[in-house]
Amino acid sequence: MSILANKDTRVVIQGGQAGVNAARRMAEFCYLIKRPLNVEAFVYPPDAGKTNEIPYGSGLIAIPVYKTIAEATKNHPSINTSLVYIGADRAMKGGMEALDDAHIKVVSMITEGVPEKDAKLLGAHARKLGKVFNGPSSIGIISAGACRLGVIGGAFDNLVLSKLYREGSFGVITKSGGLSNEIIWICSQFADGITTAIGIGGDAYPGTDYVSYLEMFENDPQTKAVVIVGEMGGDLEERAAEWYGAKKRRVKLIAVVSGFCQESLPKGMKFGHAGAKEGMKGEGSARSKSDALKKAGALVPPTFGALGPAIKDTYEELLKSGQVKAPVEPASLPKLPKTVEEAMKADEVMVAPLIRTTISDDRGDEPCYDGYPASELINKGYEIPHVIGLLWDKRLISKQEAEIIKRIMMLSADHGPCVSGAYATILAACAGIGLSQSVAAGMIMIGPRFGGAVTDAGRFFKYAVDNKMSVDEFLAYMKKNHGPVPGIGHRVKSLRNPDKRVKELVGYVKSLPIKTPCLDFALQVEQVTAAKKDNLILNVDGTMAAVLVDIGFPVDSLNGFFILSRTIGLIGHWVDQKRQESRLIRLFDYLVNYAAPKRREVPPLK
Amino acid sequence: MAKVLEGPGMGLMKKWGINVPNYVVVTSVDELTKLGQANEWLKKSKLVAKAHEALGSRFKLGLVKVDLDFKTAEAATKEMIGRQVGSITVTQVIVSEMIPHKEEYYCAVKSTREGSEILVANCGGIEVESNWERVKRLCLEVGQAPSAESLEKLSKEAGFAGPLAKKMADFAGKMFACFDNEDAQYLEVNPVVVRESDGELVALDAVTLLDGDAKFRHPDWNFAFAAEFGRAYSKNEMEVMAVDSKIKGSVKFIEIPGGDTAMLPAGGGASVYYSDAVVARGGKLANYAEYSGDPPDWAVEVLTEKVCSLPGIKNIIVGGAIANFTDVKKTFGGIINGFRKAKADGKMNNVKIWVRRGGPREKEGLDAMRALKDEGFDINVFDRNTPLTDIVDKALQVK
Repeated sequence: MSILANKDTRVVIQGGQAGVNAARRMAEFCYLIKRPLNVEAFVYPPDAGKTNEIPYGSGLIAIPVYKTIAEATKNHPSINTSLVYIGADRAMKGGMEALDDAHIKVVSMITEGVPEKDAKLLGAHARKLGKVFNGPSSIGIISAGACRLGVIGGAFDNLVLSKLYREGSFGVITKSGGLSNEIIWICSQFADGITTAIGIGGDAYPGTDYVSYLEMFENDPQTKAVVIVGEMGGDLEERAAEWYGAKKRRVKLIAVVSGFCQESLPKGMKFGHAGAKEGMKGEGSARSKSDALKKAGALVPPTFGALGPAIKDTYEELLKSGQVKAPVEPASLPKLPKTVEEAMKADEVMVAPLIRTTISDDRGDEPCYDGYPASELINKGYEIPHVIGLLWDKRLISKQEAEIIKRIMMLSADHGPCVSGAYATILAACAGIGLSQSVAAGMIMIGPRFGGAVTDAGRFFKYAVDNKMSVDEFLAYMKKNHGPVPGIGHRVKSLRNPDKRVKELVGYVKSLPIKTPCLDFALQVEQVTAAKKDNLILNVDGTMAAVLVDIGFPVDSLNGFFILSRTIGLIGHWVDQKRQESRLIRLFDYLVNYAAPKRREVPPLK
Repeated sequence: MAKVLEGPGMGLMKKWGINVPNYVVVTSVDELTKLGQANEWLKKSKLVAKAHEALGSRFKLGLVKVDLDFKTAEAATKEMIGRQVGSITVTQVIVSEMIPHKEEYYCAVKSTREGSEILVANCGGIEVESNWERVKRLCLEVGQAPSAESLEKLSKEAGFAGPLAKKMADFAGKMFACFDNEDAQYLEVNPVVVRESDGELVALDAVTLLDGDAKFRHPDWNFAFAAEFGRAYSKNEMEVMAVDSKIKGSVKFIEIPGGDTAMLPAGGGASVYYSDAVVARGGKLANYAEYSGDPPDWAVEVLTEKVCSLPGIKNIIVGGAIANFTDVKKTFGGIINGFRKAKADGKMNNVKIWVRRGGPREKEGLDAMRALKDEGFDINVFDRNTPLTDIVDKALQVK
């Protein structure tokens, strides 16, 4: 047997993530004692209609989330207990909602920091309805071999160590959540373990007192002794002493009292007003609690450390008198399946990786680019072009190469609103589309006719240089196999109206003491093509391509330089439109050539 | 619980219709001088000036001056501000109107398990302490408000008669309204006096303890809470409080001067049992501390630094029960960092460390602590098989 939480307990958890975590712990316990999960529903309005997935063994159980307690109990009429994990400011409302539901008999509130008045109102309301309100600030309730409510008991290995998979003879009531596992552990080491352990909550006025639970334990034949672990202040211990001393009780009572240190603390640590008179009779002091309990016949060990031997003595007495029999330990216990991570850590499984990476690793305290920590790169003066070099070509480029890349990026960051990429971004921005989608709209314009010629230009110039082609051979090869030369030709610029960006870039690169075979070849090609038609000049794409090939970047990365630099401009255009609160664009009729048939009659449907 | 100083306490009482003397809280003489130009009563009335700090026995320390006029009030303020009393510097002075009176009474409302209790006595000041049996009570269940009749009955029981009985009943009713609406845990006025000018009851003092947990529904609580014991918080205590307010979980720290056993235990319940064990073994506590609810390791590190900085300590007790979900490895990581910093600052010479703990990742955590031995720490590490407070016994036996 057990009290409050037993094999028939069915639970609704009120609250979000903390409640889900508790459900996971509860599922671990259910798995240990080989019973189905006792959590039937969650109530959490923001997630109503969804499900929370709770691991059970190696499987997952989907538990529905409802908006109200009424909905939960209507769909799961066996629910009889609620665990409240709602924030302190809404906890009272949630607790009241649960208490007022006819299905629910026990409400245990885990929330900490609930105002005293709210807790008192909840306690009073529960008493009026003949229900139990446990908490607030309860760590939970656990009945060995039967039911766990909340996280009390700790991790799975602690549940096993504390023998919580089978019933013992000791009831536990504790105000301190932090000590609950300690007491359960002591009961399992010095005696045969627990029946039920209750975290009553550490607040000054918890919803239920020791006496209500002592009555329940007294009526539970399996419980032979009860251990009470108190906290400073309050008068719950005196009330328990009064109850215990009032008549002959079946259960033995063991109690540890805390707060003796208060006697020797400096006087200044107590506040001195007439109200302190209330304590002068000694009520609420550790000394008074301890004396009252001893007088009532309870066993009160002098320190917490002496609790174990006291429990041991009590257990041996119970054994001797035949009230309890030595427990039979089960032959085997379920083992909680390990997660893949845990099993890997223990070298028990090998997993074939899904993807492979060779450029970056952020598993440490900061990302490493091709092995170099980002912060160290920064602190040693490296810049964005070096990061590009590491991530695109796995090499630390020189200062001179970095300067070339920086210039390429700056020259191609934006070319005004009329080019297709910028125009598409502006159009999307005006339609109210978000930043990333609008930028993506511009980005997908990058192709053979806009910015996307860099890779191809680089590829063909390199092909020509590698194969030592003459310009004429190259042009003939292109004409026969591929068509116009990528990187050559401009819509608005020409020999008479040269492109300053190209001139600038070529001038700078040529001023450096480096070999530029591709660029030289591209310029020779330009000489020939521009002579045929004056706008067949080497354009920005072609220049970038030739230079980047010359400094060693792989051809496949070349369009990336345009995508990266132009993204700066595209973001700028989106922000610009946003700032102006631009309206939706609709194309003017006169910008369209309506080549569709004139209006005509729709024939009858045949 | 959260203690509130006299000024804001009086402010709350005034809000619920209780007569309080005119008062101002100032941080400098200039401020008082300026207020004097704007407030007629400061120039006309007899005044009282008190240091507005969480200090006991202010009278004895000369931090309460009565029967002043504006000039002498300015002088008293000047004298008090900046005065050093122990670890506290007086930064605020409350200057209030002196209320000439003959009779002194007592009224308080306190929180009880069932609800609250209204206390009334027809004596006041220090007299009430020596005549505690004259205090009469009215018990109220939570959610229940006192009726006018029950209040009058209480007032009469306490020995009030005639129109004064009604006035006292009314006063107690307002005290209850303030208590209930302001989420108070304790309200006390001692003395309640009869103002000679009009015969009305006036609160001459206010002891106000509010429920800090209810702050979310009181946006007008724009005042700071004061330490509940008879001194202000120290710099280190305030720093730990600032960390505590920022994190999930909690870290707590109170200094006790003159002790030699420093506490660094986990859990609100266990920490008191550890303190009890120190006292039971005749040790002298140097502090009270506690961390719980799986706080971040940096917060535990801050707490550890404060604990290691306590003067004259011989032992540090890093105790704890078997944690539910506090990650032992992670929180110990914070403690270890704190220890290393303290050692580097030369603070750990002749300090013995005693560790006992269980819970998630207990083995890793305890192993990390054990490894500190190799760094020259005098550290003794025990696991869940050693009873909770036995490390205290071991620590205090070692000479």
